[in-house]
Amino acid sequence: MSTKIVIDPVTRVEGHLRVETTMDGNRVQSARCSGDMFRGLEKALKGYDARTAQQITQRVCGVCPYAHAETAALALEDAMGIRPEPNGQLLRNLTVGTYQIKDFLLHFYTLCALDFIDITAVLGYEGRDAGLQQVRGWVQQELANNKVFPAAPFLPRYEADYCTDQAANISAIKGYLDAIPIMADFHKMVAIFGGKSPHPVAIEAGGVTTPPTLDRIAHFRTLLATCAPFVREQYTQDVIAVAQAFPGYFREGRGYGNMLSYPYLPDANGDNFFFAGGVTIDGEYRALELDKITEDHTYAYYYDNSSPLLRPLQTDTLRPLSSVDFQAQQSRSDGKYSWGRAPRYDGLPMEVGPAARIINTYKSGTNSELNALVNRFNRQLDITIDDYASVMGRHLSRAILANLTLNHMERQLEMLQPGKPAFSEHPVPRNARGVGITEATRGSLSHYIETDSRGLIRNYEMIVPTTWNMSPRDGSGNQGPVEQMLQNTVVADAANPMELARIVRSTDPCIGCSVH
Amino acid sequence: MMQQEITRRSALKRIFAAIAATGAGSFITFDDLLAADANPRKAINVLWLHGSSCTGCTCSLLDIEKVPVVDILTRFAHMVFHHDLSLATGDQVTETIDKLLESEEPFVLVVEGSIPVRMPHTCMVAHRTMDSWMQRILPKAQACIAAGTCAAFGGVTQMEGMDTGSMGLLQYSYYRGITTPIITLPGCPMKPEHFVYSVLHYSTHGAPPPLDRYGRPRRFFGRTVHDRCVKYADFQENYFSRKIGEDGCLLRLGCQGMVTRSDCMITGYNNNTNVCLRAGHPCIGCSGENFPRRVMFHTYDDTRDIIPRRV
Repeated sequence: MSTKIVIDPVTRVEGHLRVETTMDGNRVQSARCSGDMFRGLEKALKGYDARTAQQITQRVCGVCPYAHAETAALALEDAMGIRPEPNGQLLRNLTVGTYQIKDFLLHFYTLCALDFIDITAVLGYEGRDAGLQQVRGWVQQELANNKVFPAAPFLPRYEADYCTDQAANISAIKGYLDAIPIMADFHKMVAIFGGKSPHPVAIEAGGVTTPPTLDRIAHFRTLLATCAPFVREQYTQDVIAVAQAFPGYFREGRGYGNMLSYPYLPDANGDNFFFAGGVTIDGEYRALELDKITEDHTYAYYYDNSSPLLRPLQTDTLRPLSSVDFQAQQSRSDGKYSWGRAPRYDGLPMEVGPAARIINTYKSGTNSELNALVNRFNRQLDITIDDYASVMGRHLSRAILANLTLNHMERQLEMLQPGKPAFSEHPVPRNARGVGITEATRGSLSHYIETDSRGLIRNYEMIVPTTWNMSPRDGSGNQGPVEQMLQNTVVADAANPMELARIVRSTDPCIGCSVH
Repeated sequence: MMQQEITRRSALKRIFAAIAATGAGSFITFDDLLAADANPRKAINVLWLHGSSCTGCTCSLLDIEKVPVVDILTRFAHMVFHHDLSLATGDQVTETIDKLLESEEPFVLVVEGSIPVRMPHTCMVAHRTMDSWMQRILPKAQACIAAGTCAAFGGVTQMEGMDTGSMGLLQYSYYRGITTPIITLPGCPMKPEHFVYSVLHYSTHGAPPPLDRYGRPRRFFGRTVHDRCVKYADFQENYFSRKIGEDGCLLRLGCQGMVTRSDCMITGYNNNTNVCLRAGHPCIGCSGENFPRRVMFHTYDDTRDIIPRRV
């Protein structure tokens, strides 16, 4: 008999996510992922000044706003036919690189670590760290006092096979607490050149509006030096410890294995990307062809009087379902079930994200620093490059990317030329089209802009990392990548489906981004 | 020593009571509140929910340095549920909320993001609309903190051209006839100091800090950005910047500081590391009632309105 497991809401992800699986015994037969929020920002942008796209699109997401700001600026620069000032390009790299490392820490510690690490291990803590002692005392008191919600927000939780290694548990809990001020410092570094964080204002088409003065560079360098050891040591070690405690998760949540990534972190002139773009399909790496991307809305809550296979900017008529039609779709077993649409590359569902960036760059052979680091971890953990498309592979990929990005930022910080401009103003283009692509924290991000005769936005479209990963089925019946990852997973206890939660969280879903 | 400490604390409390009675509560500083109340039994229950949001205000909350986040969680606020911090998932979440509502325990509701009303099905939690959740939860809350511009005024979720009919909490509670007091903390993102101050004030005094007619604490939103701007002297001397990177007032490049109330120029962002104007970018008015505008960045010779005609 088939039963269902529903996780709704999935917490510790950005936004409103529902995961529903049909079970065959204790094995997942099929899965459906629903993005349960729609705002409609991209179509509302019509009639707005083209430069507002940067400020508004970054507000689809408060966790990775920088990426939307950068991509919107790239799209407008493409329409203008310009490149940013070299200083501006470097400042952008520093800002987005910083933000990305911060997001990796947030994802690992705040959102995911306590799925593997046993928070109650803190009760047995005997050391002298003030933060850990404070948490221990508080948990003891909470449990002793018969409160209605003892030790919230850390309890209740799914009861599952948590890590039993006391040293690893304590190290990661300490990391959880220590990561919070480190993340605040990373946000400060974003604010130095971005103005503020979240939602940095200064990334505009033409460069970055904040001039790289000596005092700003020095401030940035000081903070970078303070934060770097945490990433290189504590974070990297904690990821390795979790990977060693849960080696089975290098085989869980593998999905299709089709990987898509865009080129990311160029040099000052906008060339020679540090991370390669491309696709890996059936284990084979190929160059990126942007015009193979289509978007399907067969199972997404929109009226579809147009063809379900659309190229970016082909429609400006897609309307969200009314309440009545929404209810009607929900009552059908084969009805539409998500606000997210289904982007496809050459008709295939693709995984995007840290693992895709590692696998594609590794296979492209363009970054020897990356290949050396990956090889080192492969030997240490006894895995191969193909194991990166897995729950633990994704966590490991983030740690590798954080280390590499840090190295790269340290080099690029010294290339800034104080006193030279970082921004040049250009007229907003009329009747023009542009596309911007980059890698956000969660994977490949593209923005498409079209302007009218007054330089206002005629049409706008965003294809966001979680739109790829968390997509619903398409017209040909292909499941979305995360749905595929969930399939065949064995769930030990249907009341505590931790296996499913770990798979979903490993892709770092962001529903705010995916649906916008 | 112990004796002195208690005397000092009780004395402080009496002083605060007097200050509050005279309506001059905006003089109570952050440090006063921290000194006056370190009693964990008074930690208020906080239920933090997301409407149509982006999680930016949560990320901003974690940046606070004035009070360590661990202290907030273990001493000042009892975070019954928070979407991004709670280990509870799925049914555990709905059970927690049900239990909180049944228990009659007092709690403060924090809402991040707006509530879609015209198309309520565009924001769902556990297959129920956020609108229906709010109709159930909001009347039972002691007070509601609308975290960020979306929750306060609608923000980008209510920009011209949107279909969903999203409302900020002030508008929403009026629309639904709910009288729970609302503290609005606009800002995109909300500043963590505003939030923690409001929570501390509530747990110390059982009431929100003095508010203006939009529910904003006067202490933070009493003045416009322009009033306290580092470039105010340039403005007075009619010295305007013609392009980015030049000295001078940024008004002609689209600065919204004149019509935007916030303490940006005093406390900045990210623990006063920087703020848009100090970085040389015009204010985009992210904590204002008119955010976002159709134009946010002007060239010097742009003839379109910078300051909205009706404010």
